[in-house]
Amino acid sequence: MSFAALVLTGVGAVGAGGLLAIPRRSFAVGLAAQAAGCLLFALGGFWALGADASAGEQFTSTFTPGVGIDALTGLFLGVLGAVGAASLAYATRYLEPTAKGRAIGALTALFLTVQVLVLVARDPLTFLVAWEAMTLVPAAVILVARADEPARRAVVFYVALTHLAGAGTWVAILLLAHEGAIGDPSAVASGSGVQVAIALAALVGMGAKAGLMPLHVWLPLAHPIAPAHISALMSGVMIKIAIYALVRVLVEWLGVLPEWLGVLVLALGALSSVAGVVYALFQHELKRLLAFHSIENVGIIVLGLGACLLLRARGADAWAAFALAAALLHTVNHALFKSLLFLGAGSFERAVGSLELDRLGGLLRRMPWTGGAFFVGAVAIAGLPPLNGFASEWTTLQSLLRVPAYGGVADGTAGALALAALAATAALAALCFVKVVGLVLLGPARREAVAHAEEAPGAMRAGVVALAGGCVLLGVAPGLLFGSLVGLAPWSSDAPTTVGLDLPGTGDFRSGGVALVLAALVGALALLRGRRVAAVAPTWACGQLVERQLDWTSAGFTKPLRLVLEDVLRPEREVVVRTEGGVVREVAYEGRVPHHFEERLYRPVTAFAMVGAHHARRLQSGRLGVYVAYLLALVLVVLTAAKLGILG
Amino acid sequence: MSATAATATAAQLLGGIALAPLLPGLVQHWKARLQGRRGPTPLQPYRELRRLWGKSAVDVEGAGIVYRLAPSVAAGSVAVAVLLVPVASDAPDLGVGRDALVLAGLLALARFAVAASSWEVANGFALMGASRDLTIAVFVEAALVLALAVAALVSGTTDLVQMIAGTAGSAAWSDPALALGAVAFALVVVAETGRQPVDNPDTHLELTMIHEGPLLEYAGRDLALLQWAAAARHWLVLVLAAQVFLPHAADPRVQLALLPALLAVLCGALALTETLVAKMRILLAPRLLGIAGLVALLGIVAWLVEVT
Repeated sequence: MSFAALVLTGVGAVGAGGLLAIPRRSFAVGLAAQAAGCLLFALGGFWALGADASAGEQFTSTFTPGVGIDALTGLFLGVLGAVGAASLAYATRYLEPTAKGRAIGALTALFLTVQVLVLVARDPLTFLVAWEAMTLVPAAVILVARADEPARRAVVFYVALTHLAGAGTWVAILLLAHEGAIGDPSAVASGSGVQVAIALAALVGMGAKAGLMPLHVWLPLAHPIAPAHISALMSGVMIKIAIYALVRVLVEWLGVLPEWLGVLVLALGALSSVAGVVYALFQHELKRLLAFHSIENVGIIVLGLGACLLLRARGADAWAAFALAAALLHTVNHALFKSLLFLGAGSFERAVGSLELDRLGGLLRRMPWTGGAFFVGAVAIAGLPPLNGFASEWTTLQSLLRVPAYGGVADGTAGALALAALAATAALAALCFVKVVGLVLLGPARREAVAHAEEAPGAMRAGVVALAGGCVLLGVAPGLLFGSLVGLAPWSSDAPTTVGLDLPGTGDFRSGGVALVLAALVGALALLRGRRVAAVAPTWACGQLVERQLDWTSAGFTKPLRLVLEDVLRPEREVVVRTEGGVVREVAYEGRVPHHFEERLYRPVTAFAMVGAHHARRLQSGRLGVYVAYLLALVLVVLTAAKLGILG
Repeated sequence: MSATAATATAAQLLGGIALAPLLPGLVQHWKARLQGRRGPTPLQPYRELRRLWGKSAVDVEGAGIVYRLAPSVAAGSVAVAVLLVPVASDAPDLGVGRDALVLAGLLALARFAVAASSWEVANGFALMGASRDLTIAVFVEAALVLALAVAALVSGTTDLVQMIAGTAGSAAWSDPALALGAVAFALVVVAETGRQPVDNPDTHLELTMIHEGPLLEYAGRDLALLQWAAAARHWLVLVLAAQVFLPHAADPRVQLALLPALLAVLCGALALTETLVAKMRILLAPRLLGIAGLVALLGIVAWLVEVT
């Protein structure tokens, strides 16, 4: 049995699972079948990656439909399978077998299938069709799950933006097909105009789908309102498939790109990572906060890609391969911990209702399994050793450091700035996730429902705990995957084959050793500290009583940073003091950090488009005669133009 | 293993674990002298550690496992960092690698653990300190990574042992890149050790605390672990300052022999700054560290201009 057979069986299982999810009686079986299918994707995908083998058709620039698997497809199939299996196992208990739940269950199978189709597509036609379907299916799921006004507006915005910007994908893929460059890097000359045009179009189209700034505004609207397992698949996998497409186009098919394009990619990555995490810090709803973190992490991945392009342009092939592997490793890592965090958030929402950060608290005690796994995910996304987030951020930092080492003054300075941006991003993510674990998991419960939260059912726990296990595994032994990822570079390069990350020119990140020594030392110190405790004492607050009204809030914890960044963020605040007879009766305070991309960039554009549409509507009278007149006028104009020789 | 390497390993372990508390002790002692006071002996931190170790821990009402584990995690990750940072250019790998950027990750882990614990006690003062510490850390980490990047570019590697060898001699004076890196790293040292003008280690006024804030509820062995971790941070950054950013000999034996003197000089410099400079407003500290980052960036540009 080969990996291709495994993937095919997986597609069959997912499809059958989708159909089985429709009748009420076989609903749970259907979801379980989808989970099993995903497991087969994971097995087949990682098998193809490990064996560096391919099956099925080769890439073609013709429009003959064809599918096939190679190592890069295998990697993303593996990620889709791993995240999908955990999410679907979770969904067996998360979704209720109501009409709505069954429709979502069936659509989930469709969503999984179109994502597989994007990955295995070998011709432009299949790719573009699957690409569009991948945008539309989650929109349908959101509309099935929620029909309220804000959800409908978010979906319209999401579909409109990804389609408008998605035109870039069409331009890029069709130009590539026209040049015969799909699967053939020698077809487009390095530094030619068409190469630059394809690269820019791909950055716009695929960058928008990945949530790269400034085309990200749909992401924090659409991701938080989907059902938890769909949010996990969207943030964990769907935006990664856009990264897959970017790697194919920029790294594999376009040959060596000019340096300024590498600098542009670095700049976009730095903007996304820093601005993504800064805006995440000022969100006060958990799922919206997590969505902004997806933008940040896509930024980190794109930083790795930018380093890869620049190093390749400078001829540092070995480090270019490491940079590509760093970007792909972060892709895998982010898929694991972000889907874990979204699934955890779904469990919390089910247990306590609203996910407003200031009204949670103490959930680690009430829900030890889900809470513990969520804690692991938070430490991983904060980029701290010994978990997986650190491994990929370390390799990305090392790659960025090589940009000045091999580059000239201009691109070297850009690399150094990107290095600083990534270091600051990691520290900002730590700040943000200290806030999240503090407000969600630690301290006292902040409302009645939270104090009585119940742990999630077994299947939902299993999903998040399995993903947490993945985060630990790839943190302790990132080398298991890293070697194969280095081999994915189309130029040949030596891959390290250790469990840790021993790269030339570095002091080696011995992840296993660090994890082992750290665990041993922490365990020994905790034992030495002993269980002996003098007394349980109340919190000391300078003699003041510690009251619920004095609880720290999400806005309070991030206030120092807001003040430091005031000139950039321009926060708005309003204080209303109501006095009565010279006595202050009531003070109302409202503060918010506006999302400038949305308000300064998109709102004027939308307003302009609306005005334009208003004028254009006058042309649409709805009377047949007028339309015939339009046609006649058009024909006359074309004929006159032809007569005058304008059309050539 | 050569005799030098064995001595270097012994110095690294003994110094990082046992001698670390002497460094803040020396700073306090000299600071008192400079201010015309007699002050505590340099051994005062050891006395405090002994006293605290003899006492039981105190649990705060409602605190859970994160509160109880945080001191062990903070001390444990700083201890791994001690294993990571060599004291001379001839030292074996102690199983955790010797990479400069891993050091930044381990210090961040310690900071995360302590900051998370402050949510467990739900104490406004602890959270105030934690949020300020993490805010300043954003700028500290960027400056730290850039300063290390300068040294890495000059020496061609992020391996700390080769970094010490690659920056040996008078490079710190003659190479403008490394000199700028040294200036940036000096400000990082001040921030990482929690000293003026970024933080005031002597303050016991809750409103002005940064590093001390989240420690407010801890007592007994917990506090001992956290105080040792703070002292070991002094060791880590001062050893790096002495062996990478200050002029040092190329011969590892001479490096080892001169290390105590260099550390003493650096402690003296810290005591002098604490005497001369007042603590700055908390929100101005990021600006100072932002300048550190810019200086390090200038160092990288200087290096780029030099080599191309």
